[in-house]
Amino acid sequence: MELKICHLYPDVLNLYGDGGNIICLQQRLKWRGIDSCVSRVVIGDTLRLSDFDLLFIGGGQDFEQEVLLPDLQSGKDKEIRSAIEDGLTVLTICGGYQMLGQYYETFDGVRCDFVGALDLYTVGSRTRMIGNTVFRCTEECGGSTVVGFENHSGKTWLGSSVEPLAHVVVGFGNNGEDHTEGVHYKNVFGSYSHGPMLPKNPEFCDLLLETALSRRYGSVKLDPLDDRSELTAHDNMIRRLTGQSLHGA
Amino acid sequence: MKLPINAVIAILLCRFLRFISRLLHRGGTAMPGRIAMKLCPDLLSYLARDVKTVAVTGTNGKTTCSRMIEEAFSEAGLNYLANRSGANLMSGITTEFVMNSSLTGKAKKSYAVIECDEAAATRVFAQLSPRVIVVTNLFRDQLDRYGEITHTLSNILQGIQAVPEALLCLNADCSLTASLADGGLPNPVHWYGVNASAGMKAIPSLLSDASHCIRCKAEYEYDYHTYAHLGGFRCPKCGYHRQDPDFAVTKILCMDDRHSEAVMNTPSGDICLTVNLPASYNLYNAAAALCAAQAMGISLDICVQALGRFSCGFGRMESFPLAGGTRMILVKNPAGCSQALEFLSGVDTDYILVVCLNDRGADGTDISWIWDANFELLGTFSDRIRKLYVSGDRADDMRLRLKYAGFPDERITVEYSPERLTDMLSQETLPVYIMPTYTAMLDLRTVIVHRCGGKEFWE
Repeated sequence: MELKICHLYPDVLNLYGDGGNIICLQQRLKWRGIDSCVSRVVIGDTLRLSDFDLLFIGGGQDFEQEVLLPDLQSGKDKEIRSAIEDGLTVLTICGGYQMLGQYYETFDGVRCDFVGALDLYTVGSRTRMIGNTVFRCTEECGGSTVVGFENHSGKTWLGSSVEPLAHVVVGFGNNGEDHTEGVHYKNVFGSYSHGPMLPKNPEFCDLLLETALSRRYGSVKLDPLDDRSELTAHDNMIRRLTGQSLHGA
Repeated sequence: MKLPINAVIAILLCRFLRFISRLLHRGGTAMPGRIAMKLCPDLLSYLARDVKTVAVTGTNGKTTCSRMIEEAFSEAGLNYLANRSGANLMSGITTEFVMNSSLTGKAKKSYAVIECDEAAATRVFAQLSPRVIVVTNLFRDQLDRYGEITHTLSNILQGIQAVPEALLCLNADCSLTASLADGGLPNPVHWYGVNASAGMKAIPSLLSDASHCIRCKAEYEYDYHTYAHLGGFRCPKCGYHRQDPDFAVTKILCMDDRHSEAVMNTPSGDICLTVNLPASYNLYNAAAALCAAQAMGISLDICVQALGRFSCGFGRMESFPLAGGTRMILVKNPAGCSQALEFLSGVDTDYILVVCLNDRGADGTDISWIWDANFELLGTFSDRIRKLYVSGDRADDMRLRLKYAGFPDERITVEYSPERLTDMLSQETLPVYIMPTYTAMLDLRTVIVHRCGGKEFWE
């Protein structure tokens, strides 16, 4: 088995340690004797998503996101839309998550059309939502409790054809108002969680890996790993943020 | 000019609060100034008026560069003040000036070396009216506090716009810093940098804080890299490019775990420079300091002597007589942390490594930056690391970072408490390198200084 990962715009959308998610995906496969490879697709490159099992898009600065729009509109947007409908496994964080939605409207009313692959949109706000977060994934997304860090000023609102990834326990989540966090649509998982998201949340990481591998190789169940260090980091943070232990509860 | 009455009261109050702080064995480096500013918001502008000041700002190297300039001032026999304690916001800078002026606001010192936080520059420069401003570099740093890097850049730019006569010493190799001179400022500029001929060993990094042109957003091309996004950049689309530095490191003669020697080209010819601090990024700090000290009229000979004798403190390559010799290397952001790791990769003895991660306000509450630092480099020298400790409030996260960088998890020891960590280290005979974040450094340093002597942070 080999997992083929596409890292889209790694040179531009690379804020807040999101690259740690790629490190995590690859190491957790390596420790199980499964190969993986990462292709970095940058501005100007052709994107052929049928070559890949998993697409990862991270978050970036506003300055950098502006650089991307013309490149997306030159064909990548269409490719992403059809691959998602086709069932490609996608993990997308913060700016990358917003980018897959319909549009972004700035605080002063300027609307920017995005990829339009997911039924959601984002509206800029004056205040930033910053801090550690805890959220509980829906049953469809594995039901695990995820701990992360968010830093965004955009408020994201989900449409009726997508589901939230999780419900907020600590923090703001999508918009600080409806207690939803992230998005789940087919095999797309979007989240505001930096941290990076995966290393402290091995259960969620393995769910992604199994989803991606199963699509190519038929139903795959990964062997368990020694996750004591991961779970210690996970549980200690949850204890600090909620005053109680949620893991396994 | 006569001082307004609120300024006089503010000075009295500030000195009184500082006196009380020291009685209570507290630093009192920022609080007295903060309260004095409530009575007189522009107090600093009165006190700094007659002082010839160098201000140092930027993401990394502010403290080291300031201490180097200070060493040159001291070597030149100038009477100066400096905010040595790291209190580099308006409040701390004001406190320092109050403590160095008479009750009527008359300056007791003719010169000053002031380290200034990059977000505070906007307000500080206008009141400080520095003769010379050094900008060391710009890297992503504490995004939860500073926001995006372009925001930091515009903070500094705003600060500079208030002082059109100040001479700027800018890092020519940093496309972000160099862009300060790109907006038609009237300020004179002196450039410093490291030329391609120096052959500074660059470990290629997949992550750049400035990959695309700040002017036109096209991707930069590079003739060479020195580290992170620093190097010989040029934009193929709009032509924005690196300036030839006035002070350029042209050759590195030697670099070991204690010092480096380099040839530097200056407007008055080539000089041979010994920097009494290891690691390549300190060559940049030395070049910046030399550029600034020259701009203040200090002779090259004196600068060279100062840099050769200089020893930094306060967690920046600071040495302690603990275990087989301990060095503390403060780390704050991916660029600085990767540089520290690159330095460690060149140490050729066995040693003990300690990494301490906190997430308090002064460290940045977001610790995800550790995943952007090149800890994968540990794989190339993990056999020389005989023991690896992680410590601090977020030791668990640090442990994970090291595990996923490929360091064997079972060789990592977690010790949250600085006291017990110091106990364990004091049993060792090997050299120790400690990489702490800012508040982790303060905590651990206090314990180590208590154990084996050293200065309090305000000294």
